[in-house]
Amino acid sequence: MNGGPALVSIMRQGSNLIASVHTALDDSELVRFERDLVDQIGEFRSRGVIIDVAALDVIDSFAALTLRRIAEMARLRGAVTVLVGIQPEVAFTMVRLGIGTGDVPTALDLEEGLEMLARTAPHPASGADGRR
Amino acid sequence: MSATERGEKGTGHASADVADLIPMVRRIVGARVGSHPAADDLVQETLTRVLAASDTIEPGMLEPYAIVTARNVVATMWRDEDRKRRNRHRAIDLSEPETPEAQLVLDEEQSAMARALGRLDERERRTLLEHEVSGTDTKTLAESAGSTAGAIAAQLNRTRARLRVEYLLALQHVEPPTDRCRPVLIALSSGDHRRQREVRAAQHLLECKDCASLSQPLLERGQQREGSLRITIAADPDIVAARSAAREVASRLKFGPTELTVIATAVSEVCRNIVRFAGSGEVVIELLESPRRGLQVVARDAGPGIPSVEKAMSDGYSTYGGLGLGLPGVRRLMDEFALVSESGHGTTVTMTKWERNTDDE
Repeated sequence: MNGGPALVSIMRQGSNLIASVHTALDDSELVRFERDLVDQIGEFRSRGVIIDVAALDVIDSFAALTLRRIAEMARLRGAVTVLVGIQPEVAFTMVRLGIGTGDVPTALDLEEGLEMLARTAPHPASGADGRR
Repeated sequence: MSATERGEKGTGHASADVADLIPMVRRIVGARVGSHPAADDLVQETLTRVLAASDTIEPGMLEPYAIVTARNVVATMWRDEDRKRRNRHRAIDLSEPETPEAQLVLDEEQSAMARALGRLDERERRTLLEHEVSGTDTKTLAESAGSTAGAIAAQLNRTRARLRVEYLLALQHVEPPTDRCRPVLIALSSGDHRRQREVRAAQHLLECKDCASLSQPLLERGQQREGSLRITIAADPDIVAARSAAREVASRLKFGPTELTVIATAVSEVCRNIVRFAGSGEVVIELLESPRRGLQVVARDAGPGIPSVEKAMSDGYSTYGGLGLGLPGVRRLMDEFALVSESGHGTTVTMTKWERNTDDE
């Protein structure tokens, strides 16, 4: 599974992390993505995380669950997660399937996602508890 | 050098004289061709010619005659070789030389075929051979059998299907472990879907290891003919492979981007259940022509089965619905949805999406 083109890239931008999924991921790749991202949130002490899923042509129950889990873990680590780039067909299917992103905020694209992060966490919270 | 010992009848020269020429001829030939493998043959050829002509050669001319002959023989050889080299590309035999292994394989195939033919019944075999080997057409065969050409053709097809199965069995030296195996294999071989359903072929393949491997070549030959695709599901990457295959097949119909995503997602869900709960199974994606154009997906496994189908299909039971199999959601995504599960014998999900004229919903 190692080697080959990167399936996901995680970039740091200021106090935010931007994770872009480049291709369809299978379940084990999703789990690895989850672990990598949570590790990096700790490493960079990020306040905000953007997950760009524009390249995911399918978000099924497991993918949705994983994304929610990532967001929840990030929240526990003091970071706000915004999901961006859900395709219209994918959105339709998710609703039909009866799955959602739960409490995870979403934005249309990366730009709006960053804006949303700037609004939600304008000032670094003073408490250790990352909850805004 | 037997040539030198013959030809005593001549008046001009005795064979002993010719024998005396041997060292010289050898030297001449050697000087021209070196250690060419044909050197000895050339010497012999020269001596034979000299001997044959010895009657007509004037006395004392034997030696020059031998020298000229030797030169000619050598020149002829070079010319021949040269011609052969120039023409070699025309005579090239592209087929591989017969290796002992190939011969062995051929023998094995032939004896397997003989055994397979032997297992057909007499009437079937005669008809098949008359048609395939003697080239008798179905009409003539029908007349002599008091039947119709169509019936004969159908019979030939059944015979071929049986022959393929028997050939495979004979080639692999296996006897099918259960008496269900042979009907299943023959049904697969003939590509007869109705018969395959009757004998529950797909289910059997998941349960019977022998048949699973034996049926591989039978299924492969059927694959190109039909608009159907079979994908083995055994691990996470297979789920992604299956859903992109479903999307690809579906895109041959008039499905819009939303429907393609819906289909891919539904396939993803059912495949995940296979990997999670049964370990392995298969997905068959098929284009339907009647009653309407559509896409049918059959996901099948030989796993433990779902204990309570009702519960699995009830929505709102857990976060994801039902037993967390995602099945109620999948049912909403597709137009037709059927779940058959037998405890200990696996689960089969059959779902269909009909083609629509508009792209949305």
